[in-house]
Amino acid sequence: MVDGPALEADRSREDASTRAAPMVAVYRHDVHKLRHRRHSAAAESYAGVAVNETVPLHADRDAALLSRPRGEPEQTVANHWSPYRLSLLTGETAVETDRIQAAAGGGFRDLVTPDDPERLHARWLPSAVAGAYSESVHYPYTSLQYHTLLAAALLDAYRAGRAFEDLWLVATGSSLDDASTTDTATTRDPEAALAADEVEPHRTVCWTPDLALHVTATPGDSPAARLGDAPARSFADVWSRLPAHPIDTDGGRRWRLLDAQLRRIRSWSVALAYIDEFIELHGSAAERGDGA
Amino acid sequence: MTTIQQVLFEMESDYMGHPYFLTGHALFNALARRVNGRVRRALNVSTGVFIPGEYGAYPESHSHDGYAGKLGMSLPPVEAYEDVFVFRDAAQRWLLDSRPRDAHNTHDIQSHGGRLAFAPATRFGQPPEHRNTKRTMHWYVHCYLHGDGGDEDILPLSEGVLDGLRVGGARNYGLGELSLTDTQGIDVDALDYSRVRSADELQIELLSPYVVQSEYPGADRQSVPWWWASDRQLRRRQTRLVAGDDAHEVATIDHGQVVAYAGDRPVETAKNGIQRVGTHAKYGFGELRLRPADADRVPERAQAEADQQGGES
Repeated sequence: MVDGPALEADRSREDASTRAAPMVAVYRHDVHKLRHRRHSAAAESYAGVAVNETVPLHADRDAALLSRPRGEPEQTVANHWSPYRLSLLTGETAVETDRIQAAAGGGFRDLVTPDDPERLHARWLPSAVAGAYSESVHYPYTSLQYHTLLAAALLDAYRAGRAFEDLWLVATGSSLDDASTTDTATTRDPEAALAADEVEPHRTVCWTPDLALHVTATPGDSPAARLGDAPARSFADVWSRLPAHPIDTDGGRRWRLLDAQLRRIRSWSVALAYIDEFIELHGSAAERGDGA
Repeated sequence: MTTIQQVLFEMESDYMGHPYFLTGHALFNALARRVNGRVRRALNVSTGVFIPGEYGAYPESHSHDGYAGKLGMSLPPVEAYEDVFVFRDAAQRWLLDSRPRDAHNTHDIQSHGGRLAFAPATRFGQPPEHRNTKRTMHWYVHCYLHGDGGDEDILPLSEGVLDGLRVGGARNYGLGELSLTDTQGIDVDALDYSRVRSADELQIELLSPYVVQSEYPGADRQSVPWWWASDRQLRRRQTRLVAGDDAHEVATIDHGQVVAYAGDRPVETAKNGIQRVGTHAKYGFGELRLRPADADRVPERAQAEADQQGGES
């Protein structure tokens, strides 16, 4: 834990290290991946804004450790050498969806150009385009979308003077909240994210019609589980320690299936992408047939 | 001498039962029709944990270390208390980092007319232009058996009894078939408990639900044991025991949670935790593991703290 004055000094120095405001830079730090370029060969600007800047306070490194092992990366899937994410739910590459055409056509411009950090968060949160990419070609089941959201949540907390060990995972879902906004949340777009009560800027790291997850240092009265002393692939451990079930595991077998899988997945961005896809395919909206 | 018989099954067909694990009750019912009354009365069955048949390395706390080959397809040697639990942790920490471990540790989901089932194998190797590298990973189920005090000689159950069990939904239609892969006997009293004995503080990890209330005939209400210390509320879950045509509601403290150990006889608690505590222990409820409080469940966290210098991604 960094004490007050030291943190102030640290923060002003770190803030000066990015041309964009830090909470903006964090959503632009991996644009080279969307452009199929290595970090070392990344352009400094894209669409007129500064991109690929180093994220302050090691938030990017810590977010990466939540989803990938430390050390030199090695190829983990022998025949998949591509920036496109493999789906853990279906086994397919995202290449087979419309997302790639959208991304290739500059569809990710929306994900980097706004200067308002809250709008950037709202655009990343439901973005299918960002969800088509993995964090690294070496770990194709990871998700660039959820890596970026986790990095932003960590940076937001670190800038508020919190350390990693102060952070909690908070889950909100229909089985915890009778007045759930499930019906309205079936439309997932940036405007809905900006307006939604259950979305907290930067802290909401996964937003689906049935379940939302937040990383925060101030869980309040919500059921919350600590992330642990240091960043590591630990999603299953944190999820299985939540003090209440955010999804209706008593009532629905598909929710027990999701819960069971989440007790096995250790990489954070893989798990969040799995939740997103599972709920799209098997969630309450899919069951009602009024949207997928 | 307290002997447990570890059993490893291979999944032969889709499974439509309980998704967290194969319940001990399902395993018990499948076995009960194949054994005589004395064995049935004395037999205790653990939950069955799903194991991917994949390459792995022994966890750090294991009495052996290093690369272990295809660990999920056979039973690893058991010399110390920690060795009992290599396969009892749903996160399967022995899977190698050099492979996509989360892809190996999640089931493929198959839909049978809208009812979702776990597939017995996962196929890797898309896209099609690389057909030669396709490979199939099979799923296994780990459980263990023991006999009540005085009737411990009912073990080991024979291969003929264990092979070809069918569990879960639609088992009369060919689903949920298990074939026997490996079995071994372990003397619980002869294990090395030195890590538990020498720890200053211990934690209890709930490996299966702990029953607090059950409508099953003859089951009493149970409180949380006094030697569980938790400053927060423990997550509860409703489940059901199905016996013939009757389903009995069971309220449990959910598995996966961790509480501090407030007792003073850790080795005895450790042994009891293997044989399970509380009502319905015979059917797999109440399994727990003791762990030194300073040994993180996530080994990478300790490594992360030791190595604060890391590269940006």
